[in-house]
Amino acid sequence: MGSEIIQKMARQPGIEIQHVSQKYKSASENTLTDINLDIYNTDVFGLLGPNGAGKTTLISILCGIIPPSSGTIRFYNQGVPISDQERKSVIGFVPQEYAFYQELTPRQNLDYFGAMYNIAKAELINRREELLEVLGLSKAADKPVGTFSGGMKRRVNLAIGIIHKPGILFLDEPTVGVDVQSKNAIIRYLQLINKSGTTIIYTSHHMSEAEEFCNRIALIDHGKVIAQGGMKELKMGNDVADLQSLFIKLTGEEYRD
Amino acid sequence: MFKIYASIKKELLLLVNDRVGLALMFVMPLLLVFIITIIQDSVYKVVNENRIPLLVMNQDEGILGERLINVLTESGLFEIDSVAGKSEQVLKSELLARGKMIALYVPKSFSAGLESNAGDVSKILMKDLGLEYDSTESASVEIPALTFYNDPVLQENYTYSVMGVIQSYLSVIENSLMIDNMYAEMDLGARSESLKDKMIQNRVKINKVVATNNKSMAVPNSTQHNVPAWTIFAMFFMVVSLGSNIVKERVNGSFLRLKTMPTSFMLVMFSKMSVYVLVAILQVILTFSMGMWILPRLGLPELTLPTNLLAFGSVVFISSMAAVSYALMIGSIARTQEQANGFGAVSIIIFGAIGGILVPTFVMPSYMQLVSNFSPLHWCLEGFYILFLKGGSWQELKSVFLFLGIFILLCQLCTYFKLKIEKII
Repeated sequence: MGSEIIQKMARQPGIEIQHVSQKYKSASENTLTDINLDIYNTDVFGLLGPNGAGKTTLISILCGIIPPSSGTIRFYNQGVPISDQERKSVIGFVPQEYAFYQELTPRQNLDYFGAMYNIAKAELINRREELLEVLGLSKAADKPVGTFSGGMKRRVNLAIGIIHKPGILFLDEPTVGVDVQSKNAIIRYLQLINKSGTTIIYTSHHMSEAEEFCNRIALIDHGKVIAQGGMKELKMGNDVADLQSLFIKLTGEEYRD
Repeated sequence: MFKIYASIKKELLLLVNDRVGLALMFVMPLLLVFIITIIQDSVYKVVNENRIPLLVMNQDEGILGERLINVLTESGLFEIDSVAGKSEQVLKSELLARGKMIALYVPKSFSAGLESNAGDVSKILMKDLGLEYDSTESASVEIPALTFYNDPVLQENYTYSVMGVIQSYLSVIENSLMIDNMYAEMDLGARSESLKDKMIQNRVKINKVVATNNKSMAVPNSTQHNVPAWTIFAMFFMVVSLGSNIVKERVNGSFLRLKTMPTSFMLVMFSKMSVYVLVAILQVILTFSMGMWILPRLGLPELTLPTNLLAFGSVVFISSMAAVSYALMIGSIARTQEQANGFGAVSIIIFGAIGGILVPTFVMPSYMQLVSNFSPLHWCLEGFYILFLKGGSWQELKSVFLFLGIFILLCQLCTYFKLKIEKII
């Protein structure tokens, strides 16, 4: 309780999303419509929604991969607004895909992506070894990643996204298709870095995982935010016991493609 | 600087891990240069360097058949192999059995026929000149016919060339015989020699000159065609390695991940281009070294480097850039690695075929020669031809640089717009 108060007191703006809409040229309808979200620096913020809701599109916009059709996004670092160029150094991105080089070893992948973040060589080596150790990859650090299990690949994917100690970390389904042990290791480490000051924006289909991991969520469906707020207040307000029930209640039981 | 180093190192590591790509880029050109040069060299030698192998069966009962064979031997053009036997059928069988291409059958009446004809000609001449001659009617022998056999696979123009050469030596014997006969009729005997010398030796000469633009002594040979040709082919085959490498990075999200980082996509492309241009230069060094030092040890023609080394370096560089740019374009357009590999490889084979790599453009029909201008491999090869075979100058290389420059620009623009559409840039 005491730590929650301290956290709330230290809370500062992380990302302000105002009236963001996205419409692809090939699509007849908006993929995102008038998204308004406030994400704080202490948040583990869950972007939840059924398939095709627009979660990945929103993450892509926030990471600067695609520009929004309209609306504004402001990023803050320790409460101070930052430029687009500064944003690239502050954010970390862990995509759903294994976005690295399967032919290379974890060390080689981390060296390359670390250098792209402008990390000095000596610092990069320390950080690389620290991450390999923490994420249980040390023993396999010199083997090609292509030979790894799904869980190990997910951990490599995560390590690349946090090599530069990002202030804001975007995670798109970081635990999809991995074993319980790997999932546990990933979540524990993410909680740790959140406590050290990294804002986390996270998408997942695992409701129990999201419920345990996130302090605030936004439920998106058909490109619109249908609910947002603290986990507890949303459950209480909708008179449901858990996040899965809340999700079904707000998005319905129909299959989504 | 550390970024560039890391980026280039990553490309090198990816390259080293691509065993198939390495084999295609380095082993394939060496094998192709080695095999095709040997094959084409033997063809070149049949036409240009070696003496023409000729089987001969001489059934002549006089001396002229023997004289014809001696003249052909002394000409240095033929490697004569005599066949014992009595019938033309034996000669034909020997021709096919020994794997020779041509054979000559000299009939029994060869000397008698020629002498008879020469006698008749001299009598007509003496009569027309009003001079005394031996008017005694002697039995006339029909003009003899030599039989020339050739293997059916031999090209017709080659057959006619050889027949022309034999005909030319036969004329020497016939003319000599006629002069001897006329001088004998006039009782001038041995004095015919000076006339024969004048008629046979003092003929109009044809000087053969290889057309070059400077004093370069380099003449076309199989090495000078094949070494650059197959090196270019291998350079463009990097599409399999580089093309699929780009498809992988596009599809697995590495490119998009890089877009979220404080780095420029130009750095990524620059690293790729640097590494693969280096690969192309290594290919040139490897295959050209083979042409300079290994092929001569196998009895094949030596590769002589052009005198204009700066132009040579420029042609190598622009050819590498063309190959790299093409691979980048294929890599950015293909949806899967299979597409990049399949389309990339097949397109290079087609470009190679129409561009004169497999078969030189000068033996192609005129419309195909026109089509060859659309192959970048043709322009690369043209650049090397100008350097190696014609001792070319910058002036001559202008068109090569122009066409390859346009090709590189188009490929780079296609790559840029495709990656832009995919939001990668």
